[in-house]
Amino acid sequence: MTTQNHKNTMTRRQFLARTGALGALGLSLPALLAACGGSDTASGEESLYFDNWPLYIDPTEDGLTGTVDRFMAETGVTMRYEEGYNDNNEYFAKIQPLLGAGKTIEPDIIAPTFWMAGRMINLGWTDKLPKDLIPNFSNIEDVYVNPTWDPTGEYSMPWQAGTAGIAYNIDVTGREINSVSDLFDPEFKGKIGMLTEMRDTIGLICLGLGIDPSTITSLEDAAPAFEKLAQAKADGQIRAFTGNDYTDDLVSGNFAACIGWSGDVLQLGKDSPNVRFVIPEEGGTSWCDTMILPKGVANGSAAAKFMNFCYDPVQAALITQYVQYLSPVKGVRDELAKLDPELAENPLLFPDDATNARLRSFATLSEDVEARFDEEFSAITGA
Amino acid sequence: MMRKRTKFGRIAINVFAGFGLVYLFAPILFIVAFSFNNPKGNFNIAWQSFTFDNWLHPFAEKSLTSALWKSLEIAAISTLISTVLGSLIAVALSRYSFKGSAGINLFLVLPLTTPEIVLGSSLATLFLGQNFIDFGMTTIIIAHIMFQVSFVALTVRARIRGFDWTLEQAAQDLGASPFRTFMKVTFPLILPGILAAALLAFALSIDDFIITFFNSGSVQTFPLQIYGASRVRIPPQINVLASMILFLSVAILMTGTISGMRKSAEKQKSARKFKVLQRK
Amino acid sequence: MTEMVVRHNRIARNADRVGLGAMIIASVCLVALGTRWVSGPMVSVIVLVLILDLVGVLVLAVRGGPEARRLLAPYGLLKPGMLWLALFFLAPVWSLIRISLSTKESRFSVNYDFNWAFQNYSKAFSDFGAQFQRAFLYAAIATVLTIAIGYPLAYVIAFRGGKYKNILLGLVVIPFFTSYLIRTIAWSTILADRGVVVKAMDAVGLQTVLEWLHIMDNGKLLNTPAAVVGGLTYNFLPFMLLPIYVSLEKIDVNLINAAGDLYSSASRAFRKIVVPLSIPGVFAGTLLTFIPAAGDFVNAQFLGNPNTTMIGNSIQDQFLKQNNYPVASAMSAVLMVSIATLVLLYTRIFGTEDLA
Repeated sequence: MTTQNHKNTMTRRQFLARTGALGALGLSLPALLAACGGSDTASGEESLYFDNWPLYIDPTEDGLTGTVDRFMAETGVTMRYEEGYNDNNEYFAKIQPLLGAGKTIEPDIIAPTFWMAGRMINLGWTDKLPKDLIPNFSNIEDVYVNPTWDPTGEYSMPWQAGTAGIAYNIDVTGREINSVSDLFDPEFKGKIGMLTEMRDTIGLICLGLGIDPSTITSLEDAAPAFEKLAQAKADGQIRAFTGNDYTDDLVSGNFAACIGWSGDVLQLGKDSPNVRFVIPEEGGTSWCDTMILPKGVANGSAAAKFMNFCYDPVQAALITQYVQYLSPVKGVRDELAKLDPELAENPLLFPDDATNARLRSFATLSEDVEARFDEEFSAITGA
Repeated sequence: MMRKRTKFGRIAINVFAGFGLVYLFAPILFIVAFSFNNPKGNFNIAWQSFTFDNWLHPFAEKSLTSALWKSLEIAAISTLISTVLGSLIAVALSRYSFKGSAGINLFLVLPLTTPEIVLGSSLATLFLGQNFIDFGMTTIIIAHIMFQVSFVALTVRARIRGFDWTLEQAAQDLGASPFRTFMKVTFPLILPGILAAALLAFALSIDDFIITFFNSGSVQTFPLQIYGASRVRIPPQINVLASMILFLSVAILMTGTISGMRKSAEKQKSARKFKVLQRK
Repeated sequence: MTEMVVRHNRIARNADRVGLGAMIIASVCLVALGTRWVSGPMVSVIVLVLILDLVGVLVLAVRGGPEARRLLAPYGLLKPGMLWLALFFLAPVWSLIRISLSTKESRFSVNYDFNWAFQNYSKAFSDFGAQFQRAFLYAAIATVLTIAIGYPLAYVIAFRGGKYKNILLGLVVIPFFTSYLIRTIAWSTILADRGVVVKAMDAVGLQTVLEWLHIMDNGKLLNTPAAVVGGLTYNFLPFMLLPIYVSLEKIDVNLINAAGDLYSSASRAFRKIVVPLSIPGVFAGTLLTFIPAAGDFVNAQFLGNPNTTMIGNSIQDQFLKQNNYPVASAMSAVLMVSIATLVLLYTRIFGTEDLA
């Protein structure tokens, strides 16, 4: 019996060795994968990767050619367009470890909301735009020249802009809504939605209380708004804090009214005539999503070509026709009138002066103050 | 002697169990049904009209489909590695009794008793401060293997619990080399347990959300894509793809069960023969 | 000569201790490397120790003779998996604890200063106490509900299933092959204000009853605590059902028949035989349900409202929105420790069985 054990154990060692090797292979496999992985770019051709918000560009469908395909055809640049940018903070959390450590991220262009762009510009995580490759930069609307989040105007170009106001389902509310105070009406208890976007929610509540959000410099300035929001939440007035998914709840009747964005309601279109959007009489907030080049990107010139392409009023009009947000490009209204005259007259897309006067952009906050705002807001949104 | 059970009690419990099954299947029927919906607008919430369109173009949503491929890729690789690692542990635990086996047992259970959010966030903090690996496919696969190993080890160990290790000695008594013994006797007999564990690991990997959420970098897996995009729109293709996964899993399960039943019957026969020979 | 042989034999006989020790040392080295506990020249020292450790075991296996090899065999099989877990489970947990006691200069810097920052923990308790409580409460209710729904179902399959057992079991498991997220989103549609369930409740007139029970709230079923608990119950039902099924299936039916022969009633037989024998299954199921449910954030996010957030939502928010890794890590650590404590208490009361 012992001699047979001897034979057994000999090959048990072999067995061990083999399994050990297999285990070692298992440990090294990820390293191999890391080496093998990574995108391959066609050599010699220019390529571009734009990671944008969902539903933010006109696609190729229903017989129309989308912007991406038109761009590729005209310039010969291979463009990869993804819609992976769903939330400013989530995306920031993903890119922070890379950019903070001095590494570069994959996308060549991203379009954060203005305050996030401001944060990244302040942190030095963006590259300057090659303006010499963007002659159409001069088509930018005056209000976006040297904005507060990019005082030198060298790092960003707006993609689309919009307003935040009140969206409501008239079938549920039973009446028209036109004031921020309607959101706090006990009649709609538990059927009100607000945005997780702090600046739009607190901004609107500030306007409702007579505070101008563009002049805020500290937490104390906005304290009444935070108190009002906290009270509403504790009372059960607010059903949920949402991202873009409030349209779902509006249409289904889960929300009577909510803070929302103009373009979303416009996109609902003729299918949902009972869902309306209004800039409250106290005012609304305006925002924009702006294109930036993350630091160290490889395809800066291709990115510049794309930005230039999109600032051609003809192209911009085609984008606006689908996306239905405010275009930062001059001359879009005239081009749009040729494509869709009704849309060109839509007051939500092209607000009149009276409405414009009621719009405010949230002030740019310093890093510390922004941290405190975020913290206070998080405590209320219950996260 | 037949025992009498109250008719009422028997019917009541059957009805209750029936309700339980209905409860389990309600959302599923809902998901499959709405895959045939033709929704207006961005969200697939209200029934509009019946259409086969979605099933004819299941891969219309490019980002969704590529996310599904990523998930399958990750699941395949991680299942392979974790099955090997976990099976080795299971074999060690059941075949040998050794010092520290109780501690190992406890250690294996630890990842299962840690909430996913802790597992995911702690792994993220590990990856955050180092420069060797970037967040992406690699980190996701590493994370998946980590929680799969425990599942595989415990599942395989439970399955091979009754395994008669003296069969190996019997084979060697009959002159088989240890390698041959392993390939022809041990491995085929523990294979069903390993396959079951592998299937479990695969399913866990495809559906994992929380741990992947913290460690994915810019890679989008299927659950991540659903989460991200669900804030903006839920195309019916999600329902279609989910239904496809469902039907495929059912098919695999059924073939697995049928062939497993056949194989175990065969093996019981041959094992019995071995035992008879052994006694002689 | 004899001395060498004697020493050889002693090492060989204690090869199992050597094997265990080697594995522990290798694990510690990996954890130290992974969490960058050491830096600079110490790194090379640790790497050297690791290599020596692994090589030493191999040498012992080769030259120690059959006895040593037999003792070392299990450790060899265990090593790959254990080392993986050491590096990717232990090291992260260690890293988490270290970060929970550190501070960051600003939200956006990537470096930490370890300075025994217990204020992170006090903040975790003071600011998020409500979320902790809610998480444990909802998870506990959901666990009880899964027992209520899962036990009868498991019983029917185990005892009345007959040849359809496997099919029924398959049926139970199949719904969980769809994505966790899709299932939860499906519930948010099913429970919508103008959805099937609410309309049915209205028609049957149950609305007032449900509102009195605080399940419905002002005509809403969705975005209520009940919806969150319902989602948790649904999603974790198989984790309760399968262990209960496994323990019920092992029960020898003849025991129950014997009880009947001895003039026991059906319910008495159930109480005295089936229930005690199924306790290990219920125990395992409780652990597999309560623990993940307590840390969940998906259900609260899709089915809840701002007043029903659980600790999982807060941890996610601190990590991803506030970029406040130290406090988030402290919260994770508290969650982990409280769950571990509850599990230990639970084990003490109900007795431990191995969970497989």
